[in-house]
Amino acid sequence: MGKRSAIFLSIILAVCLSISGLSSSSFAKEVAYLSLADYTGPIAGLNVPGDMGLEDVLKETNAKGGVDGVKIKFIGIDTRYDVARAVSAYKRYRRTPRLLVVNSISTGIGKAVARLIERDKRLQLVPGDGEFQAHIQRTFIWGPAYQDAFAATLDWIMDDWKAKGKSGAPVVGYLSWDNPYGREHLRGGKEYAAKLGIKFLPPEFFPPGTLKHDVYLTRLAKAGAHYIHAGGVDPTPTNVIRDAYALGITKKIQMTTDYWGPTALGIGVHAKALEGTVITSFYQRGDESRNNPFVADLWKKYRGSMAKFNEVYGMGMSWGMTYVAALKVALKTVGYDKLTPDDMYKAYQKITGFDKQGIQGACAYSPTSRRGSLEVKIYRVKNGKIVPITGWRKAPDAVSLHKF
Amino acid sequence: MRPCGVFDKSYGLDIAIIRTWQHWVILISALILLFLFPLFGSYYIISFMNYLAISVIVGLGLQIVSGYCGQISFGQAAFMAIGAYTSAVLTIKFGVSFWIALPLSGIMAGLVGIIGGAPSLRIKGMYLAMATIAIHFVVIWLILHMEITGSFKGLFPPPPSLGGFEFDTDERMFYIIMTVMVIMTYAARNLVRSKVGRAFVAIRDNDLAGEVMGVNLYYYKLLAFFVSCFYAGIAGSLWGHLITVVNSEQFTLMHALEYIGMLIIGGMGSIPGVFFGVLFIRILNELVMFTSPLLAKAVPWLGSSPAAALGLVAFGLALIIFLIFEPRGLAHRWEIFKASYRLYPFAY
Amino acid sequence: MIEFLQQAITGMMIGSLYALVAAAIVLVYKSTHVVSLAHGQLVAFGALFFWLFIGGLGLPFWVGIIPAFVLTALIGLLIERLTLRPLIGQPLIAAFLMTFAIFLVLEGVFVLYLKGETRTLPAFLPEGNMDISGISVPINQFIGFLAALFLFAALSLIFKYTKIGLGMRATAEDHRLAQGTGITVRNIFSYIWVLSAIVAVVAGIATANVMDIYYMLPYIGISGLIVAICGGLDSLLGALVVGLLLGVVENVGAAYLDPLVGGGVKDVAAYVVLLLVLLIRPYGLFGLVRIERI
Repeated sequence: MGKRSAIFLSIILAVCLSISGLSSSSFAKEVAYLSLADYTGPIAGLNVPGDMGLEDVLKETNAKGGVDGVKIKFIGIDTRYDVARAVSAYKRYRRTPRLLVVNSISTGIGKAVARLIERDKRLQLVPGDGEFQAHIQRTFIWGPAYQDAFAATLDWIMDDWKAKGKSGAPVVGYLSWDNPYGREHLRGGKEYAAKLGIKFLPPEFFPPGTLKHDVYLTRLAKAGAHYIHAGGVDPTPTNVIRDAYALGITKKIQMTTDYWGPTALGIGVHAKALEGTVITSFYQRGDESRNNPFVADLWKKYRGSMAKFNEVYGMGMSWGMTYVAALKVALKTVGYDKLTPDDMYKAYQKITGFDKQGIQGACAYSPTSRRGSLEVKIYRVKNGKIVPITGWRKAPDAVSLHKF
Repeated sequence: MRPCGVFDKSYGLDIAIIRTWQHWVILISALILLFLFPLFGSYYIISFMNYLAISVIVGLGLQIVSGYCGQISFGQAAFMAIGAYTSAVLTIKFGVSFWIALPLSGIMAGLVGIIGGAPSLRIKGMYLAMATIAIHFVVIWLILHMEITGSFKGLFPPPPSLGGFEFDTDERMFYIIMTVMVIMTYAARNLVRSKVGRAFVAIRDNDLAGEVMGVNLYYYKLLAFFVSCFYAGIAGSLWGHLITVVNSEQFTLMHALEYIGMLIIGGMGSIPGVFFGVLFIRILNELVMFTSPLLAKAVPWLGSSPAAALGLVAFGLALIIFLIFEPRGLAHRWEIFKASYRLYPFAY
Repeated sequence: MIEFLQQAITGMMIGSLYALVAAAIVLVYKSTHVVSLAHGQLVAFGALFFWLFIGGLGLPFWVGIIPAFVLTALIGLLIERLTLRPLIGQPLIAAFLMTFAIFLVLEGVFVLYLKGETRTLPAFLPEGNMDISGISVPINQFIGFLAALFLFAALSLIFKYTKIGLGMRATAEDHRLAQGTGITVRNIFSYIWVLSAIVAVVAGIATANVMDIYYMLPYIGISGLIVAICGGLDSLLGALVVGLLLGVVENVGAAYLDPLVGGGVKDVAAYVVLLLVLLIRPYGLFGLVRIERI
């Protein structure tokens, strides 16, 4: 055996040994939560802080002795936005004892896993596609559907239009990623715009990672848009609005974003460009979230300084809180020994109205609703801060307007 | 692979793939074991083997075009998508049975592959590789923007059924996928040692010399692309009916690059190499995916996301190590083992 | 007409970024014949290092850019020395796959550091728009554009008038002949990776100026590679011309074709251009046509 092969084999051996050396511990009474998240891919900016919040809530619950003595195990799998990986991961864990909830942090993954979820009589969470509300099954969404939140934005646009004392109908432009997510808002959103009498311009789509969005913005501006809705997961909306600002469009046209729009972290640096942007969010943003003692205390306890605080952390916390609340209900009805994922599915439908400490509107899961909450809040960027301009308000049901 | 002292006494023996009765025993018992596996194997291993087998089919196709014919292709994921979509469209919109849609999706992917391989008539090497990347993006773009493919909504192909029996679980699909894989492996093994296979190797080693010796370059290059994409299409169809949902986000350039990585690690120009490569990369991927939560637990200050990032590093490092220390891939190790088996008990 | 020009100019500003990345790739190819996929990461790391010193430590521009150059050049050197030199003598496709592997490793490190967050360069260039007879051009991008042009000029001067440049040109022509004339080809390889990394840093800073530093940043390497191949892998002029052209084509295509096909032209414009160029002129628009013999 040559020197090279010796090095080669020893490297492989070392890797195998180091991998097999790691092993997990387990508690006596334990339930599991599986997160199929993209920690290293295009939407990591959303998933990483989200799962941090969730993990901390679970840690905190476990530290306090769990739910009636039952501890919760968090399993976080990095899917890299890849469906094949995620499906494989789900198959790996689907026989985990008492795996009650799967959170698929990408709708594409959620759709691929959905069939298995039905068969396993389990419960799945996915971001916000209205489809899951239209066809009621075992897949739940985090908050109001994308089209609901978009409709709430349109409502606000109408209010704003009237408040400015303008007559006629506002013209609204829409630009977003050229992928399934980017088009979801329009399924129902478009119908809602027609219902309000809003003139809706042909939507614009661009690939994620586009350097400049000038073409789309100028086209929408030229078509006479009064409002432009910038889709995409941050930092995309931030970059779109930066471009709009550089073009001088933001002076005349009001920019809006959905709930994946800019967070306080990004706004700090681009304060000037983002000034005046309207964000429709179903979870608390900006200082409101930072000053929510419930959120801030947990962050300080597990993550330290508030300098790097991201509001999506709060949204992640609400996943954990919902899980704990439903687990309580499920344990009360069937007890730990007989607990199956199906009981958790039933429990999720029973926690309607459960209070999320102000992070979000009240829980809206019910036998007829797959929405995590019905309310949204409209925020606006003012002097580099995200300030709420409305209270929690009910997002209109745009899902029912579209034929799925 | 044969032990010392076994000689070929007839032409038939010389060209046989399986040469001794021991091999027949091993082969048949291995096949029986494979097909009985769902009876006792764990669910996860079965579904993982399904995924491995589908990857093997794609890898075999890539081995033919890249490993044997020397035309590096990064389009394999896109051709897999074409197969998956063809099969889905045929079964959903035209009510064609899966058993007919399966070969048709292979042929469809193969035909598109001929168009995709057309640049190989003028360009080669790096340039061709880049052209196939371009083809990948054009195909995926078309899928996302056409009505028939369900655009962004994707398609939901039904599980295959035979006389009322639904192949709707991983255990049941296992039989279809494994049968197809065995047939495809046998076909590939035979193809590469036929006249066609020798022509492919001639093109790979030196296309100009091959042409001078009478190999019709255009014909064989396009044939290589057709066969390779046929394999990808078949794999795509199986994949679509296995997970019963296809959308444009399932087929990424990253997958195509992974398949090339499999060939590197398994060994270019070797059919067993495909198996080694697929096993290595897929198992590495799974290990990385499932150890990162453990790693995050063992080293809490690291957090979940960085542990996941280390997975990327591991994949990259594995490729680097193989490229430097074992450029001929695991198949080379296998050859060495075979040689020593043949010579045993003599040194050489 | 004004609108068309406006779109063209906007595209050209973006195109200059592609051209810079392509230049870095062309430099490496010219003398080592390695087509690099790893440059997207060099670009990202260049921007990240620059951010560390400017945004993180708050150093002034000219002080901060030097350690960014040094650190990125170091990465370039390490890539060359540790991973590509052992591959000398192997097929070029192996080197290409090696650069892909490097891309993966560096991407791992990149996301390991970023943890899904975004970094933004502080505004170190004047903001606002210039107005040239009805066409508005953002000043900071225009400065980036000028920097790109300047860099291209500097590179061609280096190649033409310095001794190292002469060595690089000789190496590009034929490794063995160059070795025979007393040039240490290995050193040239190292120099070229350093030079290329420096160009990548400039590209990274210019890009991060337009788009934040996040997950998608390294993927500009693919656009750069497309430009390098369309322009001809060994032609700096090709990188510049095609880079600018591609920016224009993407932008103008998105402006005029999007309404016809229902959007999304920008996703594929570059790839369609690449296919067309490869079919019509396989060695790129400005590339050297190599005649093969048996």
